[in-house]
Amino acid sequence: MSEFPFVHSLQVLLHILTALLLSPLIPGLINKVKALMAGRVGPPVFQLYYDLAKLSQKQAVFSRTTTWIFLAGPVGTVAAGLVAAMLVPFGQDHAPMHFQGDVILFAYLFGLARFLTVLSALDTGSSFEGMGAAREVTFAALAEPALFLGFAALAKSTGSLSLSTMLAHTGPLFRFSGPLVLVLAGWAIVYMAENSRIPVDDPNTHLELTMIHEVMVLDHSGRPFALVLYGASLKLLVLGALLVGPILPRNAGPLLNWLEFYLALVFLAVVVGFAESVMARFRMTKVPQFLVAGVLATAFAFLLMLV
Amino acid sequence: MLALYFVLLGAALWLGSGFAALGRPSERTALPLSLLGSLLGVVGAVLCLVQGGAGSLDFHFAGFPARLAIDALSAAFLLPLHLVAGLGALYGSSYWPLDSPKGTGRSLRFFFALLVAAMSLVFLTRQGIFFLLAWEVMAVSAFFLISTNHEDASVRRAAWVYLVATHMGTLILTAMLILLARRCGGWLWGPILGAAAPKLDVAILVLAILGFGFKAGWIPFHFWLPAAHAGAPSHVSAILSAVMLKTGIYGVLRISGFLPRIPIGVGGVLLLLGAATALYGVFYALAERDFKRLLAYSSIENLGVIGMGIGLGLTGRATHDSWLAALGFGAALLHVWNHAAFKSLLFFGAGSVLHATGTRDMEVLGGLASRMPRTVRMLFPGVLAVAALPPFGAFVSEWVLYRGLFAALMRGYPWTAGLALPALALVGGLAAVAFAKFFGIIFLGSPRSAAAEKAHDPHLPMLIPMGILAVLCLALGLGSAWLLPGLDRVVVVLAPGVSGQLAASLGFELRMIGGFGGALILVGGLAWLWVGRPGKRKNPQLAPNQPTWGCGYSAPSVRMQYSAESFSEGWANLLPGRRIRMRRLKAIFPTPSTFHLELSDSVGLGFLEPRVERLANRALWFRRLQPGFLTIYLLYVLLALLGVFLWMLARPWLLPLLGWSA
Repeated sequence: MSEFPFVHSLQVLLHILTALLLSPLIPGLINKVKALMAGRVGPPVFQLYYDLAKLSQKQAVFSRTTTWIFLAGPVGTVAAGLVAAMLVPFGQDHAPMHFQGDVILFAYLFGLARFLTVLSALDTGSSFEGMGAAREVTFAALAEPALFLGFAALAKSTGSLSLSTMLAHTGPLFRFSGPLVLVLAGWAIVYMAENSRIPVDDPNTHLELTMIHEVMVLDHSGRPFALVLYGASLKLLVLGALLVGPILPRNAGPLLNWLEFYLALVFLAVVVGFAESVMARFRMTKVPQFLVAGVLATAFAFLLMLV
Repeated sequence: MLALYFVLLGAALWLGSGFAALGRPSERTALPLSLLGSLLGVVGAVLCLVQGGAGSLDFHFAGFPARLAIDALSAAFLLPLHLVAGLGALYGSSYWPLDSPKGTGRSLRFFFALLVAAMSLVFLTRQGIFFLLAWEVMAVSAFFLISTNHEDASVRRAAWVYLVATHMGTLILTAMLILLARRCGGWLWGPILGAAAPKLDVAILVLAILGFGFKAGWIPFHFWLPAAHAGAPSHVSAILSAVMLKTGIYGVLRISGFLPRIPIGVGGVLLLLGAATALYGVFYALAERDFKRLLAYSSIENLGVIGMGIGLGLTGRATHDSWLAALGFGAALLHVWNHAAFKSLLFFGAGSVLHATGTRDMEVLGGLASRMPRTVRMLFPGVLAVAALPPFGAFVSEWVLYRGLFAALMRGYPWTAGLALPALALVGGLAAVAFAKFFGIIFLGSPRSAAAEKAHDPHLPMLIPMGILAVLCLALGLGSAWLLPGLDRVVVVLAPGVSGQLAASLGFELRMIGGFGGALILVGGLAWLWVGRPGKRKNPQLAPNQPTWGCGYSAPSVRMQYSAESFSEGWANLLPGRRIRMRRLKAIFPTPSTFHLELSDSVGLGFLEPRVERLANRALWFRRLQPGFLTIYLLYVLLALLGVFLWMLARPWLLPLLGWSA
């Protein structure tokens, strides 16, 4: 890679542009799939771009209870998401930035985003938003060990603590081997929970009582709400790259790698849309059990790697 | 050598400030004296860490050879001590005025100064008996500090429990120091040379971990900690939590550094003990509704994390794996510094809230963010730091610990690292629950009582220390790479032969983490600027300030907000020490009902207390030996002397029978 600085810098540029501009496409794709499954035409795939443009023009309304911390949630989500995006390889051999131990930074950046979102929800003093915040932190504490056990299995297999190596060169954990399938199954559950998708959470439900993530951002409007939506789509993209990373075959040419990566993301969006169409949301008491299943899957993968 | 004199002079100035507080001119001399003492202490410690110079002073005192010495390990603990002590003195000058009723202002300053001076000596002494003396002065002055508010029965009880606990620790330490003196061939400490004595070494190490564990608050020795830290004045809680608990850490590190070989297995056990302590602490922290007890439980959690680091380091020494030793000890020491910074900040902030509202109960607070804006701005970094989030310092120390755990996994030893890894991840997630609750319920939302309604920012002497610590929390995260050379000097003391590993191997990564922290702040700042500017399209009929959306309910009240207990309900109901009393609602139109929730420490109150109670009742039997007549006591003395005399006579025959050399 280093022999071709021009190609390399093009790669980095493409990576940054993908992170910045392409993420709102994923929710659009998911919603399109859901609409088609339900026999509707559905909103255009680019709907989120239109929404963001409209929201950034609008005047924001703030509750009298709120303080500056109310803005920390949206701002922190986007900042952490963009910075974390620089650490995940998008189907290539390397991410723009990589160093030993960047997985831990990656995981904790999402922790930061979540913590700030929870605080800005509590800032409104609404009981509904408090409820959403309590559910978010409760479930996230279960998602974290699942994520880390998966990392531990991959780290043991590759001998590296850098996301770029762990996802691109999985070592003895060749594609579709037992432990890797378990890791991916566990991470898929984390993906559902972190992105508040069915069956953990329903982004389109009409009743505040049953929501987790959506209820936390009820009071955001205008530009802050634009950041919330953009941050959520970033999370879908970045965690999606984590999920598809170990499966993608690595080719000699970077162009083919990019093509595969985009196709894999479209495929992921289709799968998520399909799952959302055929499943119902779990009862709230069932959600922890679902997440524990994720922890167990990754724990088994880790154990298999240890012996 | 210069560093040693600086620190000694600093300790002397502190002692002087303590006596000055008792005298007439008091505050105007006492405060500058203690600030100057702290400045000297900090300068001395930094000198020692930066230049790596060690110095020692040998002398005879009361016929005993004694030694005061400073090295990088001492300096690593003297630095947070003098930093937190100086800031605490400044904070205390406004928080607990000198002319407080019943002379508590003066006694508080005196014992605070005595505590600081004694702790300086604990970190400097290299001789068993003087170490015990300094340790005891420290423990007793802490007792008087905890019982400052002694009119409150719960404070009195907390202080007594603390006193008993610390003396149980001292008892074990005395035994350990006697064994160590046997091993060193004298009371003076130094690296042990000569023949190996594995059994004696194991005994010394295990006794040190047990005895110092009482101070460090590792389970099950943590039972004294929450009540003692909650009942003390807040700047005292800060120094107890940020520094005094660390004397236990210092002790384990110092003693283990003397041993020529570390027995295999001790490190793994300590790693598991640390993980269990961290989990236990964080679980109780998230269930607490008293915010100072919450902080105290969070200290237990962090001391557990430090214990995990030490466990890894000891494993590294036992297996002659210098990389593992460097990572483990390095993580432990970094976390000592970070915890000192953010926990003293949090206790100062908690003190400001207590000062403004007069309550430690989170359930009656809320909405303080708009009433105490400066306090909140300074406390916010502390809350992010305690949840170990980037770009703050505690993230870096946990990152180093994760590196150590992964490194242990790669080498396949200890297998306990496989358990500790998910435990640490879970602790991180649960700490986020606990501190989202701490910050969210106290500062955000609407005030839940009149006291919270009328809260206001404290005066400048209380705000300045918080500001300094807040900046420090961020600086420790962004500039962690520059700490590595100093850290390496400490690691050399702990694991001889491991030199310069951290700076050589982690420098690049920590600079990257610092850079990512900077990028995070930059991107966040840009987004903040964009959000701050309103959009172009304005709606003239729309008032910018509206009430919070009540989801269609037209008459929301502040009591409908999520409470501290409901916030952490999901995890807290797993705790065994939680008791709920409520009347079930009956019929279609139920009458008013009540709900009552109690939380008690299941190891301290649930398990230990009834057993200790029973033991104490049995011990009453010894009262019969105390009839109160002088003649009887003289008889006891005579009998004891006779017994010693007989022992001396029988010794040459008895000892060979037991297989010992006479």
